[in-house]
Amino acid sequence: MVALSVAAVLAVFLLYTSFAGGATESLRPSQIVAGDYAGKGVQLAGIVIGPVTGDARGSGLRFRLKDFDGKQTVPVVYKGSVPDLFRGGRHVFLQGALENGTFVGKPDSLVTKCPSKYAPKKTSSS
Amino acid sequence: MPGLGRAALVLALGLVLYAVLAGGYASLSGRRRLGDSARNALVAAFVACLAAGGVLLAAFLTDDLSFAYVAEHSSRDLPARYAFTALWSGQEGSLLFWVTILTGMGSVAVLLNRRLVAEVLPWTVPILAAVAGYFVIVLVFVSSPFETQAAPIDGAGLNPSLQNPYMMIHPPMLYLGYVGLTIPFAFAMAALASKRTDERWIFATRRWTLASWMFLGFGILLGSKWAYEEVGWGGWYAWDPVENAALMPWLVATAFLHSVMVQEKKNMLRVWNVVLVALAFGLSIFGTFLTRSGVINSIHSFSQSPIGAWFLGFLCVIAVFSIAMIMWRLPILRSRTKMESLVSREAAFLYNNLFLVAFALTVLWGVAYPMVSEAVRGVASTVGAPYYNFFGVVFGLPLVVLMGIGPLVAWRRASLRQLGASVAWPAGVAVVTGGVLLAAGAGSSLLGMVGYTFAAFVIAAVVLEFVRGTRARKSLGEATWVGAFTSLVGRNRRRYGGYIVHASIALLLVGAVGIGVYGTTSIRKLEPGQTMEVGGYTLRYLGSTQDRVANRTELRARLAVSRGDKPLGTLAAGKNRYLEGSREVSNEVGIRTDWLRAQDLFVIADRFNADGSVWLKVLVNPLVNLIWISGLIFLLGALVTMWPDAREQRRLAKRFALARA
Amino acid sequence: MTVAALIIAAALAAVAVLFVARPFLRSAGTREEPIRDSDAAELRRLELLEERDRALASLKELEFDHRTGKISDDDYRELVGPLRREAAAAIKALDPAAPPARSGEVEGSAAAADRDPERI
Repeated sequence: MVALSVAAVLAVFLLYTSFAGGATESLRPSQIVAGDYAGKGVQLAGIVIGPVTGDARGSGLRFRLKDFDGKQTVPVVYKGSVPDLFRGGRHVFLQGALENGTFVGKPDSLVTKCPSKYAPKKTSSS
Repeated sequence: MPGLGRAALVLALGLVLYAVLAGGYASLSGRRRLGDSARNALVAAFVACLAAGGVLLAAFLTDDLSFAYVAEHSSRDLPARYAFTALWSGQEGSLLFWVTILTGMGSVAVLLNRRLVAEVLPWTVPILAAVAGYFVIVLVFVSSPFETQAAPIDGAGLNPSLQNPYMMIHPPMLYLGYVGLTIPFAFAMAALASKRTDERWIFATRRWTLASWMFLGFGILLGSKWAYEEVGWGGWYAWDPVENAALMPWLVATAFLHSVMVQEKKNMLRVWNVVLVALAFGLSIFGTFLTRSGVINSIHSFSQSPIGAWFLGFLCVIAVFSIAMIMWRLPILRSRTKMESLVSREAAFLYNNLFLVAFALTVLWGVAYPMVSEAVRGVASTVGAPYYNFFGVVFGLPLVVLMGIGPLVAWRRASLRQLGASVAWPAGVAVVTGGVLLAAGAGSSLLGMVGYTFAAFVIAAVVLEFVRGTRARKSLGEATWVGAFTSLVGRNRRRYGGYIVHASIALLLVGAVGIGVYGTTSIRKLEPGQTMEVGGYTLRYLGSTQDRVANRTELRARLAVSRGDKPLGTLAAGKNRYLEGSREVSNEVGIRTDWLRAQDLFVIADRFNADGSVWLKVLVNPLVNLIWISGLIFLLGALVTMWPDAREQRRLAKRFALARA
Repeated sequence: MTVAALIIAAALAAVAVLFVARPFLRSAGTREEPIRDSDAAELRRLELLEERDRALASLKELEFDHRTGKISDDDYRELVGPLRREAAAAIKALDPAAPPARSGEVEGSAAAADRDPERI
């Protein structure tokens, strides 16, 4: 009886993870450019490369993201909250999708990470 | 001085190795003096770790930057009181902190239960020493806090968001919780090793488990309060891997605390209990590993820090060891009693266990999946809040219902009719509450309504239990109602303390639903003089100020808050720019708590523009302070359950003496 | 290492070694009493004592639950008999020499336990 309940419970969550897809892929610029990710909601991670232009609270902040250990970059446009620590050379993540070669960020999803500290700097709840 | 620290650690290593070897041999051959000697070695190891910690602390207090660790985590202008916070802010220091607490708690547990350990559970000492040994080996060979360098001009400084009182208590609380789970694990494994299937190990470690669980739970809430005020994004729990790291062992420990009661009453679930204790301990090691090794934060996995491999290895050793021990003793451990009815308190506890463990496993999957997927597929992934929230609701709501029903149902067997009669009143209260809330406009969210009514159900059930119990005690001859109440709680500390904890979780649910479901947000750009409206409040931007204070520049947007035409004072929100050391920028939110309306006005200054205007994100968070209040009630309930009961101690002592006779 | 550090380290090590050797030094020369592992009889007695305590505690709880209204009269009547028999059996198993416990004795034991649990 115990085994049955456990099995039922496991079934529920396995179903969810396989269909609703709880996990989002997290890609580097080289991966998103190489693969077929047009329009697919993913997370993009990389190092900010300037020049950083535009207005995140206006028509959109524009910059490029580069692989940590590579040269490939991807142009990004983003609207919403920008973390205080955001600047060229920072390691950031954001959600969004690749549209016509430019990564369009989901509003308020930009996050910077400080590897040696307790928690990532958040600007908004997901 | 770093040499002294290193020497102290090497000494600790030697002592711990001795404790493992001598303790193991003593347990095998029944040599009392060798066993005592091994125990002494564990205590001496604690002193050695304290010495090492003392050396490190002295280095922080004297700004000795020749210590690489001090230079990395402190700066000359760091106030002395934050030397402690800096001590455990990095990997090496926090490992040293962990092992010091472990050897300390281990020593106390073994000394307090001297006779039990010496005569019945001798393997406790070598097991505790082995766990400590793993950490000491890492500290001596892999990740030493005593690395030296040419002293730089100034240190890198402590992250400013860590420089506040919360960060002085939150890590020690969590560590007491994590480490504390080692004690029941060691005793349980020792009982298995000595072929003991009686409950002595449970009784001996009950308070340790309760205390660890209390510290862990309270530590998580403290962390949430810090996140709410210091990280300041408007929320209180982000399902961050570091947060989940503490939640998982806490959930399993909660399950264990319940199923242990079933073992006590009906001698059932013995195998399950040992499995749970090992799982809780394993998860606490996993949690430490997650938080301290940086494996989650970086997109490059284990390769960054060798400590990842060490911890993974340790987890494997623990898993293999626990499974082996349990399988070995399975024949004698298996209980022969069967569950009598699916409608009984035992059954309710079993369901509660299933949901709690299932939820803990889903959180574990959510945390581990990204690491696994990167290692296996080469493509990283992240698991966001929607996943956790979904399962939080799917498993959490039944748990809340069980929290209400459990106290109302009797052990062994309860007729459905009787249960229905008991449940009727609290259910009625819940329905009425629902109606009132609907009228008050909370009907906008079905989830919110469900959360509120279920919480009301639990609280009503708890109140009913207290009332029924007090009435019964009074009829048994207590003179006054107060007397009846205190004797009720005094004689059943665990039960009624537990009910208080249930009530605290229900309150937590109310707060979480309030802020999560019924909040309002507004993002606007304001020029000086302009206003914005959120949730009935009017905020007028007065202008921004910039002040040089101590080691930072404080940039603030000043706002005048009013409600209708009633002025409510001013509120400031902005950023701190730190001048030396880390040169960090920290987010400083403005919070105005309105106790009468039970809501927080939460202001984030998102961006200051060159033209003097400011982008503001303003939230109204209803009932958020209930979350912190529930934490205090949780503490109260936990303390009541732990309160020593002299009568029970005497009874147990008599039982064991009788057995020996 | 500086000289001071060396001295402190050596002192620490010395104290530690002394402390670890203490059990041997204290009773040097005397024969050690080996740890007697619990024999089967003792374990069985412990098991029976646990069963007895469990049965008596369940009885006490049943009474209290009945009094608070959690258990109906019917359920109480149904459950109390077997529980009393269980408790009586456990008590008898512990001390077979004593006269068989009458139901009144068990009930008295449980009711007395209700007022003063130390009697268990």
